[in-house]
Amino acid sequence: MKLAIILAATAALTFAQANWPTYSGAYNGWRHSQLDQINRSNVDKLKVAWVYQMPVTERIETTPIVIDGIMYLSEPPSNVVALDAETGRPYWRYRRNLPEKINVCCGQVNRGVAVSGDRVFVGTVDAHLVALHAKTGAVLWDIPVADSKTGYSLTGAPLIVKDMVITGVAGGEYGVRGFLDAYDMKTGKRRWRFWTIPEPGQPGSNTWTGDAWKHGGAPTWVTGAFDPEQNLIIWGTGNPSPDWNGDVRPGDNLYSDSAIALDADTGKLKWHYQFVPHDVHDWDATQVPVLVDADWQGKPRKLVYWAHRNGFFYVLDRTTGEFLLGKAFATQTWNNGFTKEGRPIRKPNIDPSPEGTYVWPGVQGATNWYSPSYSPKTGFFYLTAWENKGLYRKGDAEYIPGNRFIGSVPEIDLPEEPGWGAIRALNPKTGERIWEHKMHTKPWSGVLTTAGNVLFGSTGGWISREKTAMESYFFALDAESGKELWHINLGGTMASNPMTFSVKGKQMVIMPAGSGVFAFALP
Amino acid sequence: MKTPILLVLLLTAIAQAQIKNPHTTKEDVAAGARIFRSHCADCHGITGQGGKGPALNTGQFFHGASDQALLKNISDGIEGTAMPSQFFSPDQIWQVVAFVRTLAVKGSATAPPGNPQNGAKLFREKGCINCHLVKGEGGVNGPELSFIGSQRPADAIRKSIEDPNAQVDQAYWQADIILENSTPYKGFLMNEDTYNVQLLHPAQGLLTLPKRNFRKFEIKKTSAMPAFNGNPAELQDLVAYLWSLQRTRRPE
Repeated sequence: MKLAIILAATAALTFAQANWPTYSGAYNGWRHSQLDQINRSNVDKLKVAWVYQMPVTERIETTPIVIDGIMYLSEPPSNVVALDAETGRPYWRYRRNLPEKINVCCGQVNRGVAVSGDRVFVGTVDAHLVALHAKTGAVLWDIPVADSKTGYSLTGAPLIVKDMVITGVAGGEYGVRGFLDAYDMKTGKRRWRFWTIPEPGQPGSNTWTGDAWKHGGAPTWVTGAFDPEQNLIIWGTGNPSPDWNGDVRPGDNLYSDSAIALDADTGKLKWHYQFVPHDVHDWDATQVPVLVDADWQGKPRKLVYWAHRNGFFYVLDRTTGEFLLGKAFATQTWNNGFTKEGRPIRKPNIDPSPEGTYVWPGVQGATNWYSPSYSPKTGFFYLTAWENKGLYRKGDAEYIPGNRFIGSVPEIDLPEEPGWGAIRALNPKTGERIWEHKMHTKPWSGVLTTAGNVLFGSTGGWISREKTAMESYFFALDAESGKELWHINLGGTMASNPMTFSVKGKQMVIMPAGSGVFAFALP
Repeated sequence: MKTPILLVLLLTAIAQAQIKNPHTTKEDVAAGARIFRSHCADCHGITGQGGKGPALNTGQFFHGASDQALLKNISDGIEGTAMPSQFFSPDQIWQVVAFVRTLAVKGSATAPPGNPQNGAKLFREKGCINCHLVKGEGGVNGPELSFIGSQRPADAIRKSIEDPNAQVDQAYWQADIILENSTPYKGFLMNEDTYNVQLLHPAQGLLTLPKRNFRKFEIKKTSAMPAFNGNPAELQDLVAYLWSLQRTRRPE
C-alpha cells in the first residue's frame, strides 16, 4: 500500500514535470523545467524529431502548451491547432475568420493559448476571447473583449487563474485605454476589469491632464504571473499613447510602464511600481514578472525580478511593491540613478526631438517582450539583452480612432550602428553580470533553462532585407558558465520563446523558426 | 462560354480600379513634406533630387507609379532594395504620397550633357567593365550598373566616380581576415553572423570562414574602386553613358 502511494506520488511528480501547462511553464514566470534528460553532457547530440509547418505567412510568436502528450499552440493571426506532441501530427485546427481591416501595430501575431481541463482559450487580433473544446476545437463561447475598430487587439496568451481566464489587450500604438480582464472559464461572463488608466476622480487620475486618459494606452499584451499564496496577479503594462510625443499627456501617466499587482478575486489594485514615469521612448513594462522567494539582505522575502525594456534589472517586494534594486544590465544613457522611493532620475536632453535624439537603449529596448528565465539550480536570472541606440524623433500626434497614435516614428535600426545581442546571466541579489554569450545580431527570442543545467536561446533571426540582421541559430549554453554546447541553423525568423516537455519518457525542446515549429530530442 | 469571359473581364476591371489618394489638400501636402524631410530626404534628397536612393522628381517610379503602388511601397518598403518600410498610419503615408507628387520638376528626367557612345567606349577602355556588370557583361567585383541611371541621379553617379568612398554599399565592404594559421583572406563581406563570415574572394569565389579560427578580423567600409584617372570631358561622357542605363517600368 505504502509503495503504491509512493509510486503514485512519483508518477504525479513526473507527470507534472512532463507537461508545460502555461505560457511561462508555471505561475512564477520562471520558464524553467525540472526535466534533465537533456543535459550539459548530451545536449550536443540533439536531433530534429519533427517539424510542424504552419500554413501561414505571419511571424510565429507562440509558446506551445503541452498537457499529457497533446500540444496546443496558436498560429498567426488567431488560429489554434492541437498536435500529437510525439510526432507533430495535427488532431484538429481552429481557423478564425477575421475582418478585412485589423488594427495591429506590429504584425498579426499571437503568443499562445491557455488550457484548463477540456477547454482551450485564445485571444484574437479582432479583440475576441474564444473558448474551444480541447478534444475537437469546437467553439464553446466567443466573446468580444473590446472594439477592434478603435485599435484593440488580443495577441498575448491568456492565463488561467482559479476558475477564470485572465487576458490583457494590445493597442498602445492606437491610443486605446488599457485594461486587464477576468472571465468565467465556463460561461465567458466577465468577472472584473481593471482599467490601467484611472478615470477622473480615481486614485492616480491626477497623473493625467484633460482628456488624455481616454486615449492614454497602457496596454497589457504580455502574459503576467500569479502568486497563489497572496492571491495576487502580477502583470506588466505598456507605453502611454502617443508613444514619442508626451506633450498631450503631461504628468506621470499612471499606470503605464508599470508592474501592477491585483487581487485575483476582485481585480482591485494592491500595489504598483512605475518603471518609467511619463515615458516618451516606448519603453513598455510588457515583460514576464519572475516571482521568487529568496533572502534579501539577510531576511527571507517575497520578491519580483523584472528586466525592463529601459535597460534596468529591478527587484521589487512582492507584498508591497517596494523598490529594492534597480541596476543597469545594458548600456543606457537616460538614467542618473533612483530616488529612495525608486523614482528614476532622468538625464537631461533625452526626449525625442523633431531633428532626432540619440538615446541608449533604442526604441526596441535593451530587452523586450521575449521571456527571461530563472533557474533555482544556479540561482541566476537570465535574459536576452540588446546593446543598441536609437534615434528618437518627435512629430505630430492627433487621435483618430483606428489610426496609429504615436507622434512620429523613431529610427529603429541604424544601418551604420546596428547594435548586437547577448544572453546575460545576472546575480539577482545584486544585478551584477555573471557571464554573457555575445551574438552578432539582436535576438527576438527569450530563454529557457532546465534542471539539466542547460539554457536554450536563439540569435537574431528576424529575416529582413538587411543581411546582417539575418541569422537563425538555435543554441544551448551551459547555464552555469555560459559556454556554448550546441547550435543549429534553422533558417527562418525566430520570435518565440523556447519551451520543453516530455512525452512517453522522451524530453523534447521546441523552437519555432520561419513557418516551422521544430522539435528536438536525443536520438 | 460567354458568361465566364464577361465575368473574368469584369473582375479584372474591378481589380484594376485604382484607389485614389484621399489626402491631397494643401495641409496634407504640408504634413507629408514634414514627414518626407525627417524620414525620406536622407536617401531621396530634400527636393527629391535623389542621392543614396533614386530621384523622385522625375515623375517616374519604376516600382509602380499609381497612388496605390506608392502607398504600398512606402508602407511596406521594396523587397530587394534598400527602401525600408515606414511605421506610419495610411493617412500619413497618403500625405507623403501627396507631397511626392509635387516633386516632379520639368526636365529633371532629361539626359545630362555628354556623349554616351563615347562614355560606353571609355567604360571598357578605363577598365570599369572588369569589375562592373552591365546587362550581362562585365565583372562582379563591384555593384551591377545595368540600371544605374534609374537608381541614381547624374550628380550622384558623378560623385561616386570622382570619390569612390562617397557611398559604399554594405555588400562591397571589404573584410580583412588572418586565420590562426596565418593564412590571410581579403574579400567582399557578403554576410556575417555569430559564427561565420561569408566572403566573395577575388580568386577563390564564395567562401564561408568560421570565426573561431580568426586571429584578425577587420571590416573596411571604404571602396575597392580606384579614383577616376580621366579628364573632365571623359568624366562627363562616362556619366552620360551610365545615366543612359535606364530600367523601363513594368506595365501596371
